[in-house]
Amino acid sequence: MAALSHLVDNLVVTTFELDGPRVRIGRHPDNTIQIDEISVSARHAFIDVEPNAYLEGTTDYYITDNDSTNGTFVNDIRIDGRQRLNHNDVVRIGWNLFRFVDEEENTLEKTAFILEE
Amino acid sequence: MTLIATGLTDIGTRRVSNQDAIAWHTCPDGTRALGIVADGMGGYKGGEIASQVAVNVITQALAPLVNQPPMDDDSRVDAIRNAVRDANEQIQALREEDPVLGNMGTTVVLAWIQGSDALVAHIGDSRCYHLDGTRLTLKTRDDTVVQNMIDDGSIDASEAPRMPFRNVLTQALGSSETAEPTFCRLQMAPGDRLLLCSDGLTEAVPEADWPHLMQPQTPLRQQADALVHISLENQAADNVSVVLILKES
Repeated sequence: MAALSHLVDNLVVTTFELDGPRVRIGRHPDNTIQIDEISVSARHAFIDVEPNAYLEGTTDYYITDNDSTNGTFVNDIRIDGRQRLNHNDVVRIGWNLFRFVDEEENTLEKTAFILEE
Repeated sequence: MTLIATGLTDIGTRRVSNQDAIAWHTCPDGTRALGIVADGMGGYKGGEIASQVAVNVITQALAPLVNQPPMDDDSRVDAIRNAVRDANEQIQALREEDPVLGNMGTTVVLAWIQGSDALVAHIGDSRCYHLDGTRLTLKTRDDTVVQNMIDDGSIDASEAPRMPFRNVLTQALGSSETAEPTFCRLQMAPGDRLLLCSDGLTEAVPEADWPHLMQPQTPLRQQADALVHISLENQAADNVSVVLILKES
């Protein structure tokens, strides 16, 4: 399962496993990942966990900004709509940094292969 | 108004083998031409064999037909389907004989031109582009998981290079009992060029740079050289192959 690791001064302070179907991120206590910090909106963003429609056994993680005040960024680019996360992406929620970790991706990275029918 | 063809393949800067295979053929009076590019995969030995078998089987089937008087569209489609099916069967037979080759497969893209009518067929992610002056148009749709996700809106095309499974094909020669190529047709005006290539080129050189590397006044061979040369300068990680066909003005 993929995870979001909360980084402070480039060190991991907390790791949140992304257990779907929807992981909610925000300042309000009813979020799956609560970040009690002023730059984070009450219901800031969410991550949808979905099986890939074409590649059996692969899970896709899509992050969406929920009209937050200070924005959601992936690799320093403010997202506008839904975006798929890739292993090692840096996600910023307001001023809070996270690293998206999906170790399962690595096995797919290395080899070119064909879907067998 | 004759057709001229050329091609070039290079191992690239990081691979230990060249798993691409290419071929081209023009009939004696230059009014008909065939070009083909295949990009093999499945271990360095398997990849080389699969792409070479595909190119050999398909060229041996189609080159004699290219030498004959022009054929109608249906006959050409049938001939291509049969050639692709034979190549698929031969690759599958080799896979069954030798466990080392058990997961080999290959892409294939081919163009068969009669006068100004070009018929293009492909399986996998090797591509055909039409270059009309400086306007470059992709004519094939990749058989890949990533292309499916772009088409259904899951991701934007700009995200494709970062996708972890960008190399996963939904169809390839040798990987299943049936291999059904996708066809497209286009008209070539005098001066137009067709470019067939493996993904080594698309990954190493942005498409926007291609037209100025392929100045129409330079010999076709130099245009192919320029594309491969710049791929190597850009540290092409994969094998790089191009086949160019020009309809002379």
